[in-house]
Amino acid sequence: MSDFSVRSDNVDVEQIMRQIRARIREKRGVDYTEDEIRELANVKLEKFLDPKGVRSDLLDQFRKIRESSETARNYAFEDTTLFASSRPLLRFVRRLLNPILKLFFNPNPLVEALHIQSRLNESYNQSEALSYELMHNLVIELTRTGIEVKNLKMRLESMSSRLDFDERRARALEGVVQYRPGTVPPLQPPTAQSAAGQPGQHNALDNEGNERRARRRRRRGRRRGPGDRGPVAGEASDAGFGDRDTHEGERPSGSADNREQSHVHVDDERERSPMADRTTPAEPSDRSPEPPSES
Amino acid sequence: MKLAVVVQRYGADINGGAELHARYIAERLSRHAQVEVLTTCAKNYVSWRNERPPGVDQINDVIVRRFPVAHEREPYDFGRKSVRVFEQIHSVADELRWLESEGPASPALVRHVEQVSHDFDFILIFSYRYYHAWHVARRVADKAVIVPTAERDPAIGLSIFGPVFRGVRAVMYNSPEERAMIEAASGNERVPGVVVGVGSDVPDRTDPARFRRTFNIHRPFAIYIGRIDENKGCAELFSHYLRYAASFARGLDLVLVGSAIIDIPKHPKVHHLGFLDDRDKFDALAASDLLIMPSYFESLSMVALEAWALGRPVLANGHCDVLKGQCIRSNAGLYYQRYEEFVEALYSLESNGPLNAHLGRNGRAYFRRHYAWPVIERKYLDMFEHLKRERHPEALQAKALARQGGGYKMEPLPGWFARRERRLPPGREMLHRIPAGHARSGAA
Repeated sequence: MSDFSVRSDNVDVEQIMRQIRARIREKRGVDYTEDEIRELANVKLEKFLDPKGVRSDLLDQFRKIRESSETARNYAFEDTTLFASSRPLLRFVRRLLNPILKLFFNPNPLVEALHIQSRLNESYNQSEALSYELMHNLVIELTRTGIEVKNLKMRLESMSSRLDFDERRARALEGVVQYRPGTVPPLQPPTAQSAAGQPGQHNALDNEGNERRARRRRRRGRRRGPGDRGPVAGEASDAGFGDRDTHEGERPSGSADNREQSHVHVDDERERSPMADRTTPAEPSDRSPEPPSES
Repeated sequence: MKLAVVVQRYGADINGGAELHARYIAERLSRHAQVEVLTTCAKNYVSWRNERPPGVDQINDVIVRRFPVAHEREPYDFGRKSVRVFEQIHSVADELRWLESEGPASPALVRHVEQVSHDFDFILIFSYRYYHAWHVARRVADKAVIVPTAERDPAIGLSIFGPVFRGVRAVMYNSPEERAMIEAASGNERVPGVVVGVGSDVPDRTDPARFRRTFNIHRPFAIYIGRIDENKGCAELFSHYLRYAASFARGLDLVLVGSAIIDIPKHPKVHHLGFLDDRDKFDALAASDLLIMPSYFESLSMVALEAWALGRPVLANGHCDVLKGQCIRSNAGLYYQRYEEFVEALYSLESNGPLNAHLGRNGRAYFRRHYAWPVIERKYLDMFEHLKRERHPEALQAKALARQGGGYKMEPLPGWFARRERRLPPGREMLHRIPAGHARSGAA
């Protein structure tokens, strides 16, 4: 949910509304207005819906049927309808002769049947209007759902690729992980034989068969005190970076403390940044083995 | 100065927008001029049935003269004629028949206004779309000042109203959006006009705690005030609110004030209080977190102004140009066009106290700047003064004709045959040709 900070006396409603819409777009992925949804429902249903399942011109067809049925209007039929007339004299004569007419046949069942038919027609008209509304709303909702499904699919694909990327990054980081000496046994350099037997690991060894990572600058998981300015054994070049760029009271950010808890090492370029000059940076390089394919 | 106010219904118990507007204006102007209200005996705006006795009455020190309605409205006939003029190619005669069918058809009222027009300096006519307004405006054009209270509906696209807007002495608009719409529909830019609106008698002090005690409402709530009708956007409001309530169990309650035309959903967080008197209404507004205005068509929302006067923000339907424009110009309300915007805006107003307070403060300032009664009264009086001094050629012609006893006439209707020629486009089509959208600037 959105939350807007009000910093001055000047509130700009249009800006707030823009923020609200941006937030909605962020949530929904694609932002359609109600009008656009209706337009889509009327015109391009097949783009979102299965045309075999729902006909794209369903509403048009339904509307046509409805319009044609409206032309056949219902009639009111009461027991007096058969004998009614706009002329009073004729009406009087018919009423007068009505008993004689009934000598020939009984009109009552006819009147009753037509009356029932009239009521049935009325009921049918009402239910048809309801069906139309129902169908119309269903199509709109179905379109909306289709769009939402499409958006969800896109988000799912995006999340899947991100997950994939994270997994690859985690694996890449596992390959360069370093442990503090003393806490866990140090990694044993692989033998030349085993390295030769695994072509995929050529990058881990240099020409002399030593582990390449050993040439990289290493950071210990501890912060040296002011008096402890000397380089750590085997890391003479590294000490210069750390001492030059990082001094007491000049910590780049609080998050660096968290990073100190990590023991993951990164490549050279990363290390030259001020953040990397803290003891043991944990951030992996943005240049991951394979960039994710964000959709 | 002597003024006549001509309106379709009038009474202390009539709370329709234009009628209440007319009453407020009549009562306020009676402090500066002699005001007489000329109206019908009708009370019901659907049937126009004569429910009050004809003759002279007095309401809040204003003389009211009532005239009977010749025939009630027949809904079926009116519906048929509305379809004809709004949806089909039609003639001027069709439009006149539609006007007659819409009512309130009171030839006695029209005749009376025509007979006594020389007694009045100006004749204020409310609600352009009704029978009384069209006929009175045509007969006393040289004194007619119209308050259109026009909404964005197909009636504005009918050809018979163009000459009225072009032929009256002045037009008192409710909003810049209404002005832009009428000017686009009728081309009456030369007619003097001003965006005025209407004020409201908002009490200096309110008692929200009393309202909560009386109606046993203790949770924070959003309020809707007005007729609970589909035409007012209430069905959409209910739909949106129920989805919101399902998502946010601890969100705002919804309090509904007004008579219900449609069914109100049964929900523990929806409270329908029915019609409330002014004291309860203002206390309820003061107790609320915000006012929701879901209506699609408004020329001016008085209840929104009242909410702003009490420092409450408004959440309005963004499809209504007038409401959206007012929210933007006042910086005192948010608006929505669909559920997602509704729920985000509602949540923002509910959860962000500083934002709510800022919008409320802006609303109060906006009300004082544009809708305080001294401002409204001054605008009317300035317009009357301006009309008295007017040097416009048509106005001079009107005065000259009035002196000669001939009377100024509006553009005449077409002849007998031309009137019956079916060549006018449907009103709805004309409406679609009128540019929509809120105005960024304007008096109010």
